[in-house]
Order: sequence, then C-alpha cells, then structure tokens
Amino acid sequence: MSGRKLALLAVAALAAFACGTTSAGPTTGSTIVLGAPLGLTGSLTKESNLTLQGYNLWLDWINAQGGIVVKGVKHPVALKYYDDTSSANQSAVLMQKLITEDKANFLLGPYGSAATATDAAIAEQNQIPMVEANGAAQAIFNQGYKYTFGVLSPANKYLQGVIDMAATLSPKPTTVSILSADDNFSLEVANAINDYAPGKGINVVLFKKYKNGATNLSAEVQAAKAANADIVLNSGHLTEAIAINKAAKEQKLNAKIFAYSVGPSTPDFISALGADANFVYDGSQWTPQVKYTPAFYLSESDYVAAYKAKYPGLGDPDYHVAESTAACLALQRAIENAGSLDATKVRDALAALDVTVFFGQIKFDTRGINTYKPMVVEQIQNGVHHTVFPASVADAKPMYPTPNWDQR
Amino acid sequence: MIATAASNRRWKRIFLIAGAILAAYALLAPLTSLDAAQSANIPLLADKFWLRIATSIAMFVVMATAWNIIGGITGYAAFGNVAFFGIGAYTTGMLVAKAKWPFLLALPLAPVVAAAFAILVGLPLLRLRGHYFAVASLGVGVAVGELVQNIDYRGQPVFGGASGLFLPIFRIANRDLFFFYLMSAAAVLSIAVTWWVLRSRFGYGLIAIRENEEAASVLGVNTTAYKVASFGLAAALTGLAGGIFSQWNVFVNQDNVFPIEYNVQMILMALLGGTGTVFGPAAGAVLLYLLIQFLGGTLPISFDIPFVSTDARPIVAQIILGLLLIVVVIFVPRGVIDFFGGRTRLSLSYLRRSLRETSL
Amino acid sequence: MANFVQLVILGLLAGGVYVAVGVGFGLVWGVLNIVNLAHGALVIIGGYITWQLVTALHLDPFLTLPVDAVALFVLGYALQRGVINRIIRAPLLFTFLLTFGLNLVLVNVLLLIFGSDFRSVTPAYAGKGLEFGSIVIPYVALISLAAAILLSAALAFILNRTRIGLAINAIAADRDAAQLVGIDLRHAYAVTYGLGAACAGVAGGLIALIQAITPTAGEPYTLQAFVVVILGGLGRVSATVVGGLAFGLVEAFGQSIPGSGSVFANAIAFGLMVLVLVTRPQGLMGRLR
Repeated sequence: MSGRKLALLAVAALAAFACGTTSAGPTTGSTIVLGAPLGLTGSLTKESNLTLQGYNLWLDWINAQGGIVVKGVKHPVALKYYDDTSSANQSAVLMQKLITEDKANFLLGPYGSAATATDAAIAEQNQIPMVEANGAAQAIFNQGYKYTFGVLSPANKYLQGVIDMAATLSPKPTTVSILSADDNFSLEVANAINDYAPGKGINVVLFKKYKNGATNLSAEVQAAKAANADIVLNSGHLTEAIAINKAAKEQKLNAKIFAYSVGPSTPDFISALGADANFVYDGSQWTPQVKYTPAFYLSESDYVAAYKAKYPGLGDPDYHVAESTAACLALQRAIENAGSLDATKVRDALAALDVTVFFGQIKFDTRGINTYKPMVVEQIQNGVHHTVFPASVADAKPMYPTPNWDQR
Repeated sequence: MIATAASNRRWKRIFLIAGAILAAYALLAPLTSLDAAQSANIPLLADKFWLRIATSIAMFVVMATAWNIIGGITGYAAFGNVAFFGIGAYTTGMLVAKAKWPFLLALPLAPVVAAAFAILVGLPLLRLRGHYFAVASLGVGVAVGELVQNIDYRGQPVFGGASGLFLPIFRIANRDLFFFYLMSAAAVLSIAVTWWVLRSRFGYGLIAIRENEEAASVLGVNTTAYKVASFGLAAALTGLAGGIFSQWNVFVNQDNVFPIEYNVQMILMALLGGTGTVFGPAAGAVLLYLLIQFLGGTLPISFDIPFVSTDARPIVAQIILGLLLIVVVIFVPRGVIDFFGGRTRLSLSYLRRSLRETSL
Repeated sequence: MANFVQLVILGLLAGGVYVAVGVGFGLVWGVLNIVNLAHGALVIIGGYITWQLVTALHLDPFLTLPVDAVALFVLGYALQRGVINRIIRAPLLFTFLLTFGLNLVLVNVLLLIFGSDFRSVTPAYAGKGLEFGSIVIPYVALISLAAAILLSAALAFILNRTRIGLAINAIAADRDAAQLVGIDLRHAYAVTYGLGAACAGVAGGLIALIQAITPTAGEPYTLQAFVVVILGGLGRVSATVVGGLAFGLVEAFGQSIPGSGSVFANAIAFGLMVLVLVTRPQGLMGRLR
C-alpha cells in the first residue's frame, strides 16, 4: 500500500475511533420514582398544596438538568402522588401503593404529624428511606426508626427564638402567658417554652390548653388578659392564631410581644386581619430574608423568583414550600453521595449528610431530625414580613414594644 | 321480564358460586410464595399493596357486620360505634406499648374492654329510641375520643395523649400476610356470629324488638337484657378489629382510631349491602371500600375524567363519590344483597319501584 | 367578679352564633324528621356568599345576611324538592346517609370554586366595643347576637303566623292528616328545608365575621347543632334559642377551667347532651315528641 493511502486509512480509522467515543457527558439512566401521599382534599388541603408546590419546584429544576447524577449517569426524576383525603389511614394505604405498585425508589413525606407517624412506620417496615418536611413532632423520631428523616427543626425549637430575642430587648419582658392547642405538635412547642423561659429570666404566669381547631377562644384570651403578661405566646395553627388575634383586639388584651407559632408566616394571616396583623411575631423554619451560602441549587433570592414565576399572584413562598424543597434537596445530595440507588446506601448517606442549602444547614441527629438548623423569628411590620432575629440573618429590627390596641 | 322462582334460584346459585370462588381466592391466594408472585407480576393478593387493601376491607367487614347486629337486627341505629374501635385499639395499644405485653395476649382484651364499656353506657342509652338514641350514641362516640386523647394524670397524658401510642413493630415473617389472615379471621368470626344470632332465640328476640318493642316485651322478651347484649356483642367485634388495627398500624392516636367518618362508612356499608342479613354488610363493605379507592385513583385501574385538570381531579373524584352515594341511597334502599340473594333482579322497574316506595 | 361577668357576656354573645346554627337544624329535624348532616356545608356556603359580597362590593357584612338567607333558601328548596324528597319515607338512616353524600358534594364543590385558602371578613369596627370599666362588649359579637335573635323571631313569625307556617306545623303534628286536608306536602317540605337552609346561610354570614373560613370549616358546626338542639329541645324556636345561649355559656365556662380543662370543652358539651337525652329528653324547654 502506498504511503498516502496508509495515511488516509490511518486518519479514517482515527476518525472512526474518535466518533465512536464522542458520547461526551453522562448517559441517561432509569427514572427515579419518588412517592408522596398528600391531603389534596379534606382538612389539610391548604398545607398539602404548599408541600406539593415545594416538591414541584425542585422537580422542574432537577429534570431541566436531566436528572440526578449517579456515578456519571443522569437519572430523570418522576414524582408520584395521590390524595389521601387528609386521612392518616388512607395515607398508609397510599404509601404501600407507592412502594409496591409504583415501585417508588424513595419517599417524600406527607403533611401532618398523624400521617407522618403512620407513614414512618411503613417506611421502616419496607426499609425505604422517607425524607419529610412537614411533621415536626418529636415523638416520631424517638421510636428508633432508621428510615425516616426530617429536614425541619423539631417542634420544641419553634418559639425558643422569641424568648431568646426577648432576652435581648429592653425593657426586658419578665412574664409570659402560654396558650396552646392540644395537638401533638402544638403541645411540644408550648412545653418547650414552659421549660426554657424561666432559664432566661422570664416567668410563665399562665399555661392554658385549648381544643385543637377551636374557633371561639374568647375565654382563653380573657384568662390571658387577667394574667397580664409581657409576652403572649400562642402555639397552634392558622385558624386559632387568627381567632386569638381578633379576640385580643376585641377584649383589649395588650402585651409587649404577641408571638404565634404558626399562622403569621402565611399570606392568609395578613389578608384576614389587615392592619391588626402588624407587630405579630412568629417562629419560622425559614423566611425569604435569611441568607445562607448554598452548596448547590438556588440561592434564596433565586428561589423566591422561581416560586413567583411558577406560582404567580401568591406572594412570597412561605416556609412550608421551602422546607418541602429542602427535603428533595437532602434526598438528591444523599443519592449523589451514595453513588447508588440502593435503599440502604442512600439511607446511610442521609444519616451522614451535612450540607447547607438556601433553607439552612441540613444535618440529621442520631434520631433522624435536623437539630442543626436554627429557627428564625419574623415580625409583620406595616403589612410586610421581616426577619428580626437572630441578628445575623435579620433584615430589620423588632418593633418593640407592641403598642396597645387603643393607640394603634 | 318477570322473575320466576326458578330463575331466582338460578341467579342465587350463580352468585353463591361466584362468592365462594372469590372468597377462596382471597383467602388462599396469599399462600403462594410471595417471591414467585412478585416476579410473575400478576396482581395476586400476595402483593403487599393488595394485602393492605384486603386487610382494610376485612376490617370494614368486621365493623359493618358488627354494626348490623345492633343497627340492622335490633333496629337501634347506633351512630357512634367507632368509639368501640378506638377503645379496642387503645386497650391493645396501651398493653403492648406501655405495659409491654405480647400482642397476642393483649388482643383478646380489646373486645372485652369494648364490650364492658358498651354495657356500661348502653344501660342508660338504650332506653332512648330512634333519633334520640342515634344522636346520643354519636355524642358518646365523640366524647370518648376526646377524653381518651386528653386525660392527664399529674400532668402526664394517661393514654399517650396527643403524641399517640407507638407500638413496637411486630416481629414475624410475612407480617402483612399475618395481619391479613388475622383480620380476615375476625371478619369470618363476625359473619359467623351474625349467622348464629339470626338462627338463635336471641336473634328472634332482637328482631321482635326491632319490629315492635312493646309487643316483644309483652310476649316475655327481656328487652333491656337483649338490647344491651346486642350492643355489647357489636362492641366486642368492633373492638376486636380495633385491637388488630393497633398493632397492624403501629401508631395509634385520636385521628387514626376515632375518625368520625368511620361511623358513617360502616353504616353505609351495612345499608348498601342489606341490613338484617348475614352477608349483606360484608358485601357492602367490599363494594363501598373498592368504590372509594377506585374513585380516589388508588386502584391500578384508573379512569380519566374529561375536562378536569390534574389539580381538580381528586376534588372531582370526591364529588362523584358523594353523588354516587346519593344515587345509591335513593335507588337501592334495601341493599344490593337483594340482587345477590336472587330475590330481585336489577331492572329499571325495580329502581322505579324503590323510588316510589320512599319518595314523597 | 368582673371576670365572671365578662365570661357570661362572652358566652351569651358566642351563643348568638350557636342559636343561628341551631334553629335551622332544629326546624328540619323537628318537622321533617331529617338529621341534616349537610347543615355545616350550608352554613359555610352562606359564609362564602358573605365574603364574596363584602370583597367585591365592599358592603357591610351584616347587610349581606338577607342575601345569604334568600340564596340558601332557594338552594335548600331545590335540594329538598329534587333530592331529599325521594327518600323521605324511608327509615331514618337513609336521610343520614343521603345528607352525608350531599355534604361531600357541597364541600368539594366549594373547594373547587374557592380553593382551600382561608378567608375572613373584618369590618372597620371589628375589635371595638362598648366598654364598662374593664368589661368589654365587642360590637361585632353584639350585632351578631341581635341578628340571631332577629332571625329566630322571623322564623317563629313565619311558623306561627303565615299560612305556609301553619301548614308546616300541621305536617309536624300529623303528616297524613295534613295531606288529607289538602296541604301540598312536597311544597311544604321544600319550604321547610329552605327555611332551615336560609337560617344556616345567615349563621354562615355571622361565622365569616368571627373566624377564617375554608370549605371544611362547617363540619364542627353540624356537631354543635346537635348539642344546641338537644339542650334546648326540639319543637319550638324559642327552645333552640335557649339551647344556643346555654351552649355558649357552657363553652365559655368550660374553656375557662384553668390549666388544660378547656380541652374537654367538646367532651363536656357532648356529655351534657347525652345526659340531657337520658334524663330529660325534651331538653330545657321543648315538648316531648
């Protein structure tokens, strides 16, 4: 063969070889299925929808990138969810369906402590990791379950920030009245304050429980009025927070600080109460003002923008949305760290996880709950939410003390 | 077409055979090796999901059949029977979670405690009739749930309080299969008890009370004793279902074991199937439970509702369920067991007749 | 002492809402023998109508109450005439179950239309009230009580002084005899249910003022209606008024039990109801049927 032909042949061979290996970048692997039972009808519809929004925001982002990368292979993600009609027993049925029929690789939690507790038991029995963001009651994590992880701060931290903040204000408040709904989560929040406040020099002068879901709380407010504490704390949910605030105005209950565990962070609170919502504090898992340096995914301002783009007209995302996204992020990072879709390996990766995202630090203690992320304190000032504590993440100072109702 | 006696018998035979095949399949299929079933990919009941569905159905069979004893046979429509379910669940739950009893030892106490409670509460309550009894039993049902969750002793909740009770996960091979058989055994027991009741003197007495209580009393039936016994029996069976549920579900709290909607569901199932009969409530339980799951999109067979977005789908499914309930209650007041028993055939004239009987 | 007086006042004022919730429920139960499990849904529909009118037209919420009444009357009439009449002669249980299905439909239709967000109505004078020393009588609660009393008076007037009202009374006394004297049962039944629904609608309007509403917020009111009606007694509007006020007082004092006493408020209310049923079934003021 002539030299030129040999050279041509060599070039051709080289070219063929090069084309054969030009698959630059990851190939596409199997779809990862995530399962979640949600209360899309029934009493927990509103909060479950927020949870779903959080999951979907992450889902869009991860699939736009092609999926989760496991050992160089991209796996697109599919989310399967069903309506459990806000019934914990139906949630259990759906969990089993997701695991057995839909072959979910991993599970995302439902909304609500009762459903989460029931579903955690099933995740444990089937040995499939479940990462949840909406069941903060600690009882779930005291059972020694190995397959359930909660990215949110536990219930007992919800209002501690308010007490910490109060200790820094002057004139320093010295007494607190605690009103609490009688459900699991609310009682944990309230009992924690009952134990914590005296250590900070704030005495508990009233501790009153009421029925979860009560709409008429005038007797409780009356008792708080008689107790005349500097701080009035309510541990309950949105409807009760609104009811107490309304009754406080009507019955002239005044205090230097009004703080509610849940409620003020949602836009519904402000739209329901108008100007009466001002000065109210709440403990929040996350606010749009906190600044963390995320290791991956969006920064908090990009997250807010993404939320507003996908769900226009709803205002800023509230923390239920953010914590649900955080659950997905934890799972994603764990899968990447494990380099595998094997349930046990991912579970171990979750247990060892330590990463900071827009939501805060995600690291699970030995029980499976995230005790490493601090709660922040928000205050509604002139109809707008502001983060007021801790100072490192605050964007405004607390408006303290709260003026009397007559003087507003 | 006029239904003749011969064709009635034929239909009855057909349905009986179909029912027997179904029951045999349901009870024996899980015995096939779970691994083989999974890899064969056939929706046998050996599938954990179907086991859960089947166990739930069995649970409702127990509740509906038990309710039938006091509601259908005795004619006292109790509206708070879920209280006994919860009492049974908490009894077994407390014994296992707090007192560390083994589950199988704690289970028999569930029906005992539930029955004891029913007898205690039934003595005053069963003196009421009709609406008043129904409402009073509802009140008791609601109050019990509240009390159990909230009772404290020296600051600590007695029954686990709002956090609920966590039972240790039952260690046994093929756990889901075990609970399916356990719950099915309870279902078979309930049906057997009903069968026995309807053929016994006790049952005749109850029916007499239902038809005309004064006459029954005049004829020498000790109405108080019979009513209370009937109530206690219903409570015991319902409590048994609750006891099994507590260990099956591992987690017990007010939302799980005192759900108010169970009251309505068990009555609806009994009504749907046919009150006062042996197999009616069971048939109703199977039908209604599958219907609810089907509409909720849980079953593998799904259907598309046209013009409805994905977000609205679960809501519309609930609306369809409500409409179906309304339609069934209007058109099939005597229950579907009429058809399965061959007494009548599902025809337009039957529907028209039922409508005329009950409407204004 | 002032605390005690304040509690009494709060209890009576809260009782206003319970009166409104109870009179409609009691009418339907007492006359038609229907235990209306969809009552809470009808109440909440009234609440949404009020909310919609206040948000869109900026009316004073109390002015929307007549609209609630009329709208719910029409709905109730249609429901009874079209649906509930079909099983009226069936045993008691069937109405339970039918109204249960109805409740499911109504609540989810509301969910479809309005979504699950919480809505509330807050007039400008909310939070203000008459003040006597440390005792406060909030305006909103006071006007609500007045509205509820007015509603009951109107209902009593209709029942006792109009032709259709007398027809309804006749049916309640003896259905077949009433039919014999030529009363159109279907129409009279539908009017009765319509009146019950109208009362529910007004109650809903009042409720929108005191709490945030969502489609499922009506469920507790159905249960409370039971207690109110039993406490007062079936048979007379005035009896239900007494029942509603009594319930308000029981709740206020039950909830002021120090510590965790108030979590038993529901249990106390229902326990009281059962006690009344067992010892004095005609209630505080009713006639035994």
